[in-house]
Amino acid sequence: MAEQFIGKLSEFSDGDRQILRIGEDEIGVFRHEGEFYAYSNFCLHQGGPACEGLTIANVEERLRPDKTSMGLHFTNDMNFVCPWHGYEYDMKTGCHVKDKKVKLRKYDVVTRGNDVYVVA
Amino acid sequence: MSSPEPARVKRSTPAPRRAAAASDAGMSGQDKANFIKAMMDGVKPKAAAGAKTKPAAVKPKKVVLLRKIPAPVRVTRPSNPASDEALALAAALEAKLAAGDLGALTPQAVQALMRALCRFYSANVGAGDKYPVVEGRMSVTGTDAMIVCGALLKAVDLQVFELGMWQSWSAV
Repeated sequence: MAEQFIGKLSEFSDGDRQILRIGEDEIGVFRHEGEFYAYSNFCLHQGGPACEGLTIANVEERLRPDKTSMGLHFTNDMNFVCPWHGYEYDMKTGCHVKDKKVKLRKYDVVTRGNDVYVVA
Repeated sequence: MSSPEPARVKRSTPAPRRAAAASDAGMSGQDKANFIKAMMDGVKPKAAAGAKTKPAAVKPKKVVLLRKIPAPVRVTRPSNPASDEALALAAALEAKLAAGDLGALTPQAVQALMRALCRFYSANVGAGDKYPVVEGRMSVTGTDAMIVCGALLKAVDLQVFELGMWQSWSAV
């Protein structure tokens, strides 16, 4: 594993994504709220392009103390969704939102000055 | 008594024949030389081969950008007094909702606001100014959108089928 230069920091606006092939691996690199996250682009469900679908916040139902619903709300946790069959992964961990044992391969992202590297 | 027949020793193919075999396989001159050398020397075990060579330096992998997916573009325009009032009202309603105060607006007030917003948005789209009706994908949940869309269709006695027909036939 070595640091692979993928581009300049200025090339990534917040919310941008890049899909890269590094050696034999296909990797999705996200920039979200100033942080970089990189995961394998192969969905653990059926090998779809996991990093190329919607990015959408987690949805939770808020309840009053008596358990009546206050409706559905978006939380601050961002997810990305495989466009093939809707497998949804946590942006910060790569874990499936429902089953934490299902986890995409994560790659470290290093920024050095204005340069961005993926460790792959 | 006849002398016993000498044991037969299986010999490997002579070198000239090996060269002929390599030639038949369509190899280049260098390939032939390497092939013959390998046959004469034998293939070295991995461990022995590794012991004599220096560990290879980590080569940088080839990085290929397959595609860029930019962040959704936000529609922003200079504000005006009417927009400021609308934004303040929207913020107040969101705060009431977050506090669980679902009775903050009477049904008549909700109906008036919904009517005004529907007509205002529709008039803009009709005039060619077609911006997203809500900002981003996380302004309203899918459930919110379906409840409101369904209620609007029901209010004007339209079916989803008719909506689909209109969307496929119209340019809006």
